[in-house]
Amino acid sequence: MDRISVPERPEWRAKAAELGFTFADMHGEPYWDESSAYSFSLEEIEGRIEDPCTELHAMCREAVARVLADEALMERMGLPRLRWDFIRDSFEAGEPEVYGRFDLAYDGKGPAKLLEYNADTPTSLYESASFQWLWYEDQLAARVLPEGSDQFNRLHEALVERFAEIFPADTDLHFAAMAGAPEDYATVETMAWAAREAGMGAHYTDLEKIGISEEGQFTDAEDRVIGTLFKLYPWEDLFADEFSAHLASAQCRFIEPPWKALLSNKAILPVLWQMFPGHPNLLPAFFADDTKGLADAAHLMLAGHVTKPIFSREGASVTITAQGRVLERAANRAYDRHPMIVQAYAPLPVMGGFRPVIGAWVVGETCVGLGVREDRQLITQDLSRFKPHFIEG
Amino acid sequence: MKRSRAVSLGILGAAAFGLAACQQEEQTDAAAFPDKESCMAAAAQGGWFTREDCETTFAEALAVHAETAPRYESQELCEQEHGAGNCGGDAAAGSGGGGSIFMPLLAGYLIGQALGGGRAMAQPVVPKAGGGYATPTGGTQLSRLNSTGKMGTTAFAKGPTTAGQPPMTRAAVASRGGFGGSAATRSVGS
Repeated sequence: MDRISVPERPEWRAKAAELGFTFADMHGEPYWDESSAYSFSLEEIEGRIEDPCTELHAMCREAVARVLADEALMERMGLPRLRWDFIRDSFEAGEPEVYGRFDLAYDGKGPAKLLEYNADTPTSLYESASFQWLWYEDQLAARVLPEGSDQFNRLHEALVERFAEIFPADTDLHFAAMAGAPEDYATVETMAWAAREAGMGAHYTDLEKIGISEEGQFTDAEDRVIGTLFKLYPWEDLFADEFSAHLASAQCRFIEPPWKALLSNKAILPVLWQMFPGHPNLLPAFFADDTKGLADAAHLMLAGHVTKPIFSREGASVTITAQGRVLERAANRAYDRHPMIVQAYAPLPVMGGFRPVIGAWVVGETCVGLGVREDRQLITQDLSRFKPHFIEG
Repeated sequence: MKRSRAVSLGILGAAAFGLAACQQEEQTDAAAFPDKESCMAAAAQGGWFTREDCETTFAEALAVHAETAPRYESQELCEQEHGAGNCGGDAAAGSGGGGSIFMPLLAGYLIGQALGGGRAMAQPVVPKAGGGYATPTGGTQLSRLNSTGKMGTTAFAKGPTTAGQPPMTRAAVASRGGFGGSAATRSVGS
């Protein structure tokens, strides 16, 4: 793994504007940054990221079964008891997953370490699947990148295949995001492109405009009944919303399925460590009130530890501590009220003054691509930059 | 090869859905008035519309209201959507047919500058339950009348004809807005 300078495509800003990639700059800072790129060897991609992440996903499925079978662990998930059956039923019925993104700390030397699994509402899909792919094809055509190089990015094709695999042709699918968030909308729309290509009917509705019919089914902004809903909105928030009582009875299939609420949840990290202690891709993790577990594991946390809420987005309410000193504390504390977990600190490598975090995409049950984001801070937050990558020839 | 052979490079906000939420639409000068007189008074101050525009757009707004305002099977249902005291019987329905039809009263109208010249555009607005106003389809919402500013031109697109159609029943008027209240941040993805 290396971070190398590459010439930018001279016309990329115009191209981004033309393609509607309006958030290539965000908060007055560049978000898409192709002034440099991350390079990997093929062995590294396959042996350190692809295969381990496919295995991690399989382990996560085992962990879901374990949590569902253990009431004490279900309690740890911080989800309302009233919805436990709904979650369990979706897993027992084999409701298929579509996508997720593992965030990994990887320094090019040791094994990649799982920081968390964005298994429910991962974003940055457009930049990863589409704009990054275009960057590679353009740079290959311009001979900036050599013949024989490649990119780990089967994301779009894999999504098309996945939709075709789990839904009969011409199934009508609804896609919903919160209004007014272009980054979220781009992910939803990218997903809808793949569904269309797979032969599905794709309809968009703002999440807030979803209604409930007299028969108790969800309806879109134009009163069409929603049979399948892709919702870019966290399960734990759906469970807290006014319509949550209708979720189980609305005869609606959801993407991601309800059982993903157990994986996007950081309470799964201590469960994984209990089930697979010492696994090379896992960091030691414990519930924050597990004082005995933490005391016994002190020798595993010499580099420091990270405190994270079980629910959190974009690094909010995360604190990194080492040698009794706070190294960094996220300014956004919106998730402070949730239960916490403690994870061993795996520092991100520093490359060109930035700290890259690997986002490894899983479609279905297989790792199919990656995207790199980098941040100047220790905690990757909403000012991070998206960087393209390639595989050396 | 570890990458997609082809990726459909759609245009964000335009391609995948029939009607995209983030679509950029053309903006035009627009103003909202409760009645023709307020429009006339504003026209007298100068600006892009004349007193004559006020006349023609008001007449058009009245006609469009009669043709496209939402229609309900009961006064109660209409008031639930548009507020107490804001509904009346459908005059156009006449005395024939079975049962009454109710529709929101005209609360005012929008006037918009036609892009590329031509006659000023008109659209009626009706009251919303809980305050504010909306065009008959509900597609454009305003917090107050007697205001001017830029508005998307789609606000002036005429909605489907409701006159002579069966009125909406309670089942058709779905309850909405039960999702989205628990988000901690504006962008909820991760």
